[in-house]
Amino acid sequence: MNITLLFGTETGNSEMLCEDIESEFEGDHDFTISSLADVDPAAMETNTFHVVVCSSYGDGELPASAQPFADKVEKTKPDLTGLRFAIFGLGDSDYETFGEGSHQLADLLVAAGATQIGPRIVHDVQSGDLAEDVAYPWFTERVAEAEAAMEDA
Amino acid sequence: MTRKIAIVGAGPSGCYLAQSLLKLCKGDEPQIDMIDRLPVPYGLVRYGVAADHQGTKAVTRQFARLFERQGVGFVGNLSIGAEGDLTLDALREAYDVVVLAAGLSRDRKLGLEGEDLDGVIGAGTLTRCWNDHPDHADDTVTHGKRVVIVGQGNVAMDVLRILAKGAGEFEGSDLSDTHIDRIAAAGIEAIDIVGRSPAHLAKFDPVMVKEIGKIAGLKFEIADLGLSEGQDDPRLEAVTGLESSDDPRCTVTFRFGWTPTRFVGEGHVTAAHFARADGTETLDIPCDAVISAVGFRADDTLERDALVAAASDIDTGRLAPGLYAAGWFRRGPRGTIPENRTDSQAVAEAIAADLADMPEVDKPGSAALFARFDHLTDYAGWQRIDAHEQASAGEGRVRRKLADRAEMLKLALKAMETTP
Repeated sequence: MNITLLFGTETGNSEMLCEDIESEFEGDHDFTISSLADVDPAAMETNTFHVVVCSSYGDGELPASAQPFADKVEKTKPDLTGLRFAIFGLGDSDYETFGEGSHQLADLLVAAGATQIGPRIVHDVQSGDLAEDVAYPWFTERVAEAEAAMEDA
Repeated sequence: MTRKIAIVGAGPSGCYLAQSLLKLCKGDEPQIDMIDRLPVPYGLVRYGVAADHQGTKAVTRQFARLFERQGVGFVGNLSIGAEGDLTLDALREAYDVVVLAAGLSRDRKLGLEGEDLDGVIGAGTLTRCWNDHPDHADDTVTHGKRVVIVGQGNVAMDVLRILAKGAGEFEGSDLSDTHIDRIAAAGIEAIDIVGRSPAHLAKFDPVMVKEIGKIAGLKFEIADLGLSEGQDDPRLEAVTGLESSDDPRCTVTFRFGWTPTRFVGEGHVTAAHFARADGTETLDIPCDAVISAVGFRADDTLERDALVAAASDIDTGRLAPGLYAAGWFRRGPRGTIPENRTDSQAVAEAIAADLADMPEVDKPGSAALFARFDHLTDYAGWQRIDAHEQASAGEGRVRRKLADRAEMLKLALKAMETTP
């Protein structure tokens, strides 16, 4: 399957997780990795499964590299019908706005017509688990669901 | 031929720079060595980021990969500069490229009367003490019952939060009991945090103030809100949204629009004096300690001012052929870790572009350093320190930092001595 890994990051942790997912599963799929800042929402292809990894910043705001993407979606209102995506959050439960960034981004994509595959989960930096250990099984499940959904379509 | 690049300062800007350079030079990676004057890497993340912000410190996982998977070398316990182990010129002899990412580690002075009184201390120094920096183990103040914090940026908020927390509120941090006990023993009853700007223009991020609002047992007083009348700003909302405890042990007062004028006392500070910018009003706060959090400057070891003044293109980090600056050392004491990540990426692009035109000379790199000095430490040495610190963590703490340089070196140099 064609999979585009998109990261929304401030400090680089989301980017690193995208790279980890690519290395872990690189034999199984064709991966492209991109910063959300470099993505034109109107040009996202429906035959590609989009997997987003996004942190939060400040008081539950979108991280810097996700901000221009969100602005474009809000401004140009692209029709993302048929686009399938899954989203994984990185967060810090010390803050009340835990996981707000990925939450906002998921809402934005769904509002633009895209279909979210499976649940959004948020890795908590306070948990002691490594983000990749939480993300790999989540990713495997989402890919299976996306494959089934795309075959049906 | 493999290029040799030395980055002076293994803090976040230097690490991001190395990360970015390796990406830009994929397929023809340079040999990068991160040099630090301490036997441990990560600079500001280890010694500047507050002990109870472990989520922020977790960025070191990214940096560890540089050393563990991406072939970057760590050369610890090596000071660069005229007064150091090795001059900058000598280092440049050994490498194709040298990048100075040593940060700005000194507190900016206010230049006021009474600043040298006992009980007056810079926030950076205090933060490094609380973070068990080996050069600042004893650089603290006896806090007394009344503390004044000058400045309202995020560093000031870090200091306020750690002073205001109860002894039981450091779960999951790596603040040592020595510091917690010392703060608790002072029994602080009043903290005034005083800034030059009105609330709606203050330097702090609102989330930092909200975090302070979650501490138990505090009473909040917010003065000078008149200066922000009619304003609508998240910073204003954050301070006015602070809720006081019914049974407070300490009162935290936010004061806005005051410029410090002098600190008074006989030997030890007893009051901090402020005035309105237009001189219309003055404010004297009796206190036992003053912590100034008004920015940072360079220590003089690398003669930063002269280098920056002579820089060929400081905006891209180019100081001279083969010599660059990154992070705070380049841009001055502005911007958070993420902003300096972006900055380091830009400097890495300049270096990658210049590498193409650089003459090919076979530079020795770290081999020259290890041949010349026998006190240098490596990444494996840091891993031994790291493992020791984590294994000896107290109850509810993630690590117990070694604050003594000799103890650090004992661990860091241990296996190197026995390696044939």
